Amino acid sequence: MRIRSALPIWCFLAPSLVIFLLYRVLPLAWNLVLSFQDWSPLKAARWVGLSQYEEMLFDDEVFWQALWNTVIFIASAPIAVLLALGLALLVNADIRGRNIYRTIIFISYPLMTVAVAIIWRWMFEERVGLINYVARSLNLVTQPIPFLNSFQWALPSVIAANTWQMLGFYMIILLTGLQNIPENLYEAAAIDGASARRRFWRITVPLLKPSLFLCFVVGMLNSFASFDLVYVMTGGGPGRATELLVTYIYKLGFVQTRFDYAAAVTVFYFALLVAITWSANRLSGGNAGAVERD
Amino acid sequence: MRRYPRWPIHMALLTVSVLMLLPFYWVVKTSVSGENIFAYPPSVIPKSPHLFYYVDAWYYIPFARYFVNSIVVSSIAVVANVILNAMAGYALTRDFVGKPFVLFLFLSCMMIPFQATIIPAYLITGRLGLLDSYWGLALPQCSTIVCIFVFKGSFDAVPRSLVDAARIDGLSEWRIIWKVMMPLAKSAIATNVILAFVWSWNNFMWPLIVTRSADMQTLPLGLARFLSYQEDTTGALYAFCVMVLAPGVLLFLLAQREFIQGLTSGATKG
Repeated sequence: MRIRSALPIWCFLAPSLVIFLLYRVLPLAWNLVLSFQDWSPLKAARWVGLSQYEEMLFDDEVFWQALWNTVIFIASAPIAVLLALGLALLVNADIRGRNIYRTIIFISYPLMTVAVAIIWRWMFEERVGLINYVARSLNLVTQPIPFLNSFQWALPSVIAANTWQMLGFYMIILLTGLQNIPENLYEAAAIDGASARRRFWRITVPLLKPSLFLCFVVGMLNSFASFDLVYVMTGGGPGRATELLVTYIYKLGFVQTRFDYAAAVTVFYFALLVAITWSANRLSGGNAGAVERD
Repeated sequence: MRRYPRWPIHMALLTVSVLMLLPFYWVVKTSVSGENIFAYPPSVIPKSPHLFYYVDAWYYIPFARYFVNSIVVSSIAVVANVILNAMAGYALTRDFVGKPFVLFLFLSCMMIPFQATIIPAYLITGRLGLLDSYWGLALPQCSTIVCIFVFKGSFDAVPRSLVDAARIDGLSEWRIIWKVMMPLAKSAIATNVILAFVWSWNNFMWPLIVTRSADMQTLPLGLARFLSYQEDTTGALYAFCVMVLAPGVLLFLLAQREFIQGLTSGATKG
């Protein structure tokens, strides 16, 4: 009887389970195995122990550059979230047309990132890009800045484009958080004579913490997984100035066909992701999971 | 409460709105511009506007082919997501041996980003013989854990007595899902459709890895290919870009509420 009633349940789960085993669990294990081997599609596998990892840590400057760029990319997420907090407070005000503002700020989020990257390539273009044009017209610069071809500017430019795309998303999450704060808390505080600044720090910020935290986590994971924008805007260049771990893994695997070494970098990449998520969870006192899965 | 002046808020939001919209304007302007797009200073309002670049793009690029490919892959992903996620979501509302294990597996898989699986995922797809095919493109996107939990949440809200009554009436589990649960889970279905569509429609990395032939390219891939052949030299690139973006923007504006709700609930639960 038990088995007969459990059978349909497992049948319902089976297709999804197969997909996740095939495209999540198995790849993870395969990566791990591959990272200890010397293997390419035309060559028999040979165990080489930790030598891939040795190469990665001690002989590969590109890896360190990509790691550093990824860290900077991740560190930009909190700035974007704070900008979005300002916007959320503004569009939460009781003003006419606020829904239109919300739509305008959000609209870039669901768009195809490849197209967004082409838009921003054109904005940053050296000669006729809008940004250089405005900067030159206002006499801010004498020479146009080749944003995407400059070692100094390429990464900040990509980060700016990413922020432009993500801003509206953070704003909507924070706006939902703001709207969940009961109005009467503010009224009571106002009657008690609390100033607007005090109300913000004592009511808004503490009650908004889960939403803020969620934005930080989503933002960091988004930066961590970002591929399309960098690939199309700069291709990782100039040199390796915008190489991220993900673009590096892609190039190792599908340009240089070094699947084994790419697997080792992927294992590192995944370990880093787990470490970040775990510490974020600890920092929030285990709250992040609760917010994410409620 | 004390009333505050509105105009500074309007000023700030207007500035932000202009900053958000300018990139779109600049690309649309370039795509209809009739002059050399590299002339300096660039004109702010297009001089002698015409649609030449759109015609150009239409003949340069197998746009219809890319579009059909994108539609086919996204349709497979959307249909599969709704069916498979509803089944799995329903299973998770029931008690059965091994449920804690399945939940643990799902929650752990949620932690594994697609980017961390590309090398083996490519090799696996190769072994399955699905490289460069619609099914290979769609398969990894056919079920989404976030969406399974969206369905589970929605099904959990259905009264137990209703399900029991259906069972007493002799409905099979399969029909309970489709006749009882699904009609009550409209917003979960909408979230599923929107998330699956947006994710597969915009997906670039996976098509980049599994497609070889020009015939199987989807829109984002076609756009990136065109860029790599032509660089920034022709306005047709921007016309193509606008053609790719326009349906998305239109769709978003038509179903704004559902989109915002779906996209945020997807991320907050993911």
